[in-house]
Amino acid sequence: MKMKYLISTAVAAVIASSAAMADGFPERPINLIAPFNAGGGTDLLLRGLAPHFAEAIGSEVFVSNMAGGSGTVAASALQGQRPDGYQLAYMSITVSTIQPQIKDVPYGLDSWTPICSVAASPTLLFVANDSPFQTAEDVVEAVKAEPGKYVYGSSGPGAMTHLTTVAAFAGLGILDDMKHLPFQGSGPAIKELTAGNIQFFGDTEALMQRGDFRPLMVFNDTRLENFPDTPTATEVGIEAPLNELYLWGGLFAPAGLEPDVTAKLEAACEASVASDGFMEFANNSGTVINYRGAAEFDAFYRAQYQSNSSLIEAAGL
Amino acid sequence: MLSALPEAIGILLSVEGILVLVLGTVLGIILGAMPGIGSTVAVAIVLPFTLTMGQAPAILLLLAVYAGSVYGGSISAILINTPGTPQSAATCLDGYPMAQRGEAGIALGWATVASVVGGLVSAIVLIFAAPQLAAFALQFGPIETFALILLGMTCIVSVSTGSVVKGLMAGMIGIFLSTVGGDPILGEMRFTFGNWQLFAGFNLLAVVIGVFALSEVFIRASAPISRVSDLVAFNGIVLPSWQMWKGRLRNLTKSVAIGNVIGVLPGTGAATAAFISYAEGRRSSPNRDGFGKGEPDGIVSSEAANNAVTGGALVPTMALGIPGDAITAVMLATLTLHGITPGPKLVEDNPTLIASIFAGFFIINLLLLPLGMMLSRVAAPILRVREAFMMTAIVILCAVGIYFVRGNPFDLLIMGGAGFVGFLLRRQGVPMAPLVIGMVLGPTLELTLRQGLILTDGNFLAFFTDHPIAMVLAIAALLALSLPLWRGLLTRRAA
Repeated sequence: MKMKYLISTAVAAVIASSAAMADGFPERPINLIAPFNAGGGTDLLLRGLAPHFAEAIGSEVFVSNMAGGSGTVAASALQGQRPDGYQLAYMSITVSTIQPQIKDVPYGLDSWTPICSVAASPTLLFVANDSPFQTAEDVVEAVKAEPGKYVYGSSGPGAMTHLTTVAAFAGLGILDDMKHLPFQGSGPAIKELTAGNIQFFGDTEALMQRGDFRPLMVFNDTRLENFPDTPTATEVGIEAPLNELYLWGGLFAPAGLEPDVTAKLEAACEASVASDGFMEFANNSGTVINYRGAAEFDAFYRAQYQSNSSLIEAAGL
Repeated sequence: MLSALPEAIGILLSVEGILVLVLGTVLGIILGAMPGIGSTVAVAIVLPFTLTMGQAPAILLLLAVYAGSVYGGSISAILINTPGTPQSAATCLDGYPMAQRGEAGIALGWATVASVVGGLVSAIVLIFAAPQLAAFALQFGPIETFALILLGMTCIVSVSTGSVVKGLMAGMIGIFLSTVGGDPILGEMRFTFGNWQLFAGFNLLAVVIGVFALSEVFIRASAPISRVSDLVAFNGIVLPSWQMWKGRLRNLTKSVAIGNVIGVLPGTGAATAAFISYAEGRRSSPNRDGFGKGEPDGIVSSEAANNAVTGGALVPTMALGIPGDAITAVMLATLTLHGITPGPKLVEDNPTLIASIFAGFFIINLLLLPLGMMLSRVAAPILRVREAFMMTAIVILCAVGIYFVRGNPFDLLIMGGAGFVGFLLRRQGVPMAPLVIGMVLGPTLELTLRQGLILTDGNFLAFFTDHPIAMVLAIAALLALSLPLWRGLLTRRAA
């Protein structure tokens, strides 16, 4: 009898305390970690989101930067932390699904509690405006005629820009006849595209508009509003899973976060992404908002992790 | 664009405009002088404040902090042998010996005037020649950049005080340290031993602060306690008189030109410019024999060049929408946030904005002189504390700065380790500047060499036979290496 009483009070206490924990959440400021340098795209997006996220969650929110190793340093550091919901990282497709499959990092598929996705932009394959190539067929013909002559650039090995060009040229069956020239970041790469040292590059629409460039195909399920004459990769004849590529990103907590806390963070994320202030920010910065809730984002993230392995194989990484 | 100038000046002379210019420059100088912060972080700190500002004030604030921080780095380099930013590392070489001789005020005076002249000239060049220079920058592909970095590497010989062999050793250590982390072409991890903390390689700033500042603290700590309470006699900046410039103007002109040209080329930066200019000064200045022992020309070479880079780096940024370095990349991102698309049409589409940016940049460089003098007067009493307190303060400042940048305690370990190794090496007479040059130039040297080999299908000779610019630069590098040998032979024969 006494034992029973003890157990039941103990259980009640545990339930009460965990409920109290979720009830009380958040009791202190929440840290949003940008795994890249201050001033970069990810950092700016987080700084644009943070004030609205703070308002929605009812607590202070601050952004910190932990750059290095293509985002893997921050992810590796977060992976070992206690899943209390006070530390979240904004991770992109490459940090969460590509890097752990090509590098010996201490995190992997099951290291995270996905909270929400925030943005997703399809990528495009593009050339300089004065390039002789008008269609994907032109490219195939020219590359087959002179194997080893043409060069495609990337912002670094394993980056989204690299995977875009690999998807395009592997899909067209000419990857092995071309040369890959990696740069450090998209800036130097688009300079060389302007100068003519590389002939092809792949990135998002926002970046493509930085220069005098022309798209050849878009890795989206439909054609883009701004480029109605540019075919999708599927139309060009590229098959799944190489035909759709999105530079997506969202908030992740370490695995094992309490469902109640996850739900609170998810709700705050949804409200802040939908806020007028963030909408205006997204509009100015060319961010394509793409919100997914925790359950949906979890399924999406896991599916992406699997399907990206074929891309990684094609890239020879 | 010039027709928009009156309207632009109206923006600059508004209350907001003046506040942004003055406060931004002051903040930049202070952040630049803080060891470990560096220009990129200084600019990133103020970035959140720009989100609520108008277009022109936002960019002007970033520019003011940028130019201020490049200058501010020289203050701590001269007074406490701690380069606030890597681009001031070359300033230490002559600035600190001067300060030790009790000439800190005049050393800072040289640095200030050189910085202001370098910045102003680069502003004028930016205003009148940006499109032409941008076209020139496009001529510089990976292979040309490789040849330029090769020329930069020859600086190791000229900054090796004492023994050239030891200098080369230090340079090799620097290059080796820069290879730790991700392979730039294949993405594989090198020398990390499975430790994810090393995925990003060694933090450059942590190593620079370690080998310059911490090792200095260790050296002083191991020496007998000095009875003299103040480290360096300093009562504020003393500007060099016109007569003192006699015989030094040529060196100043050359340094400004070097800074401008290197600034225009994306992927190089202020540290490279400062070192190349220092090496050129040491080769050609009439006062070259004093270099490394506290020669004003050494300070002028480094400071005029690194401030001239600021305007140069804006050339490809404004004319092409391609960032010249990490800082101008932040500025481009800020433009985007304010609904402006950077790109080749930037100047055409936003004449008033660009005119106010250019004119504002000119004013910022003028402001460096009075604001620098004012701030150094405030800083002077701080330097009069006892040596033990000063050394402790330096260690704390360095640690806070380094931790602040990436929030990673591992960087503190790197700084401490670099300080200890630097201390051991310096006791053996190994100079530290070549190590920093190796670490700064190493990654670009490797990347551009391997990019070039991909482009030429592994034919190294084609680097020079097919690329005239690379050929010229390589010959210059060869001359830079062989001239001291030749001179040495001649003097030996004469003796």
